[in-house]
Amino acid sequence: MGEIVLKALGWITAVLLGLVLIVWLVWIPSAREPGYAFVAAWGGPGNAPGQFHDPTGVAVTDSEVFVSDARNARIQVFDLDGHFKRWFGTKGDGPGQLGRPMNLSIAGDELYVADYWNDRIQVFGLDGTPHRNIGKTGKGPGEFNAPSGVAVAGNGDLYIADFYGQRIQQLHADGSFVRQWGHTGKVGILAGEFNYPIDVALTDDRTLYVADGYNDRVQVFSPDGKFLRKWGGPFAMNIFGPFNGWFATVTGITIDRSGNVFVADFYNNRVQKFSPDGTFLSTFGSKGTGPGQFEKAIAVAVARNGTVFVADFANNRIQKWKPKP
Amino acid sequence: MKKVLAVMMLSMLWSAATFAAGTEYRMRVDGLACPYCAYGIEKKLKAIEGVGKIDVDLNAGLVVVDVAEGVALTEPQMKTLFQDAGFTYRSMTEKSLDGGAKNE
Repeated sequence: MGEIVLKALGWITAVLLGLVLIVWLVWIPSAREPGYAFVAAWGGPGNAPGQFHDPTGVAVTDSEVFVSDARNARIQVFDLDGHFKRWFGTKGDGPGQLGRPMNLSIAGDELYVADYWNDRIQVFGLDGTPHRNIGKTGKGPGEFNAPSGVAVAGNGDLYIADFYGQRIQQLHADGSFVRQWGHTGKVGILAGEFNYPIDVALTDDRTLYVADGYNDRVQVFSPDGKFLRKWGGPFAMNIFGPFNGWFATVTGITIDRSGNVFVADFYNNRVQKFSPDGTFLSTFGSKGTGPGQFEKAIAVAVARNGTVFVADFANNRIQKWKPKP
Repeated sequence: MKKVLAVMMLSMLWSAATFAAGTEYRMRVDGLACPYCAYGIEKKLKAIEGVGKIDVDLNAGLVVVDVAEGVALTEPQMKTLFQDAGFTYRSMTEKSLDGGAKNE
């Protein structure tokens, strides 16, 4: 009797080990490139110039880094080494005012701000001059329920992550509705459905990448709007985890000049990098307050030379990383 | 200039007096996670007339709200509000902002 039990236990152990091995081989990829090295961090908690109270978004030009300083209701601008240059925006809902600015995007000489509390995309000149607002509160076409991220196509079309709207909307530059992905106000885990989408990124050919926040995955759509692929954990269906290629709430996404995809992996305190087809390439960051550590990596931007800037949410700072040779 | 300052001072005193006689609600909720969620709840609470200070503790799943005298938050109202924000309402306690407990 004891021998049978022992044999059964042996078989069960072997099967479990086999399953672990399969999961490891299939769903936990190894790094394919050297990764990134920490360069510098700047900021700290507060409301003085250069300090932050919840940095939630980051965007970069060839010479400046723009940061959403959410609870201070402003955008701060730094040079690429983190020296403070200027800030703009105040609390409110008037032109040029902000209510929780979130993910950012730069197109041409304009900054697009997901103005979360004001249910609009606010467009500024890079000098901080308010240019125009797009959208208003609501559930209809071209309306928003907490917009959290925006990307801009070459023709001026906007792609907007509508957080509580559970959808991505495409609008013309004048705010007129083109189409949407997802079911308005309804959470879903199937392809083309969303669970609090947070950010979007576009390639030059208008392939759309979506940070599908609480589904812990990235979804990709073709320029004509068709679902292409998704990744993030087994089956990319809301299974979170700390392994390579898995996520624990996806809050920011951006694309570099080569089409590689960078993802802010919030609760895993790291940034992950993927090839355009979703192949895992590398990761950097760990939990903590020291150099190169994050207390919730919430947003990411990549400069043309490959330097990466990350909003380190609870540490109230911005981090700069460069590719390892 | 003096008039403006006087009006501002009176306004601040009135505001402080109103909230000092108001109520603090402490609500337990499940599902609070990232700042997007916290800001979402703050946004919905802010839309209620008479709501003053709002503190959202992401880690503790605790939302603390001060309301002005004469304003009351109800459980059905909060259940709906938190459900709309994507969370589950668990419980609520309240105490007077002048120090007296109303419902602990």
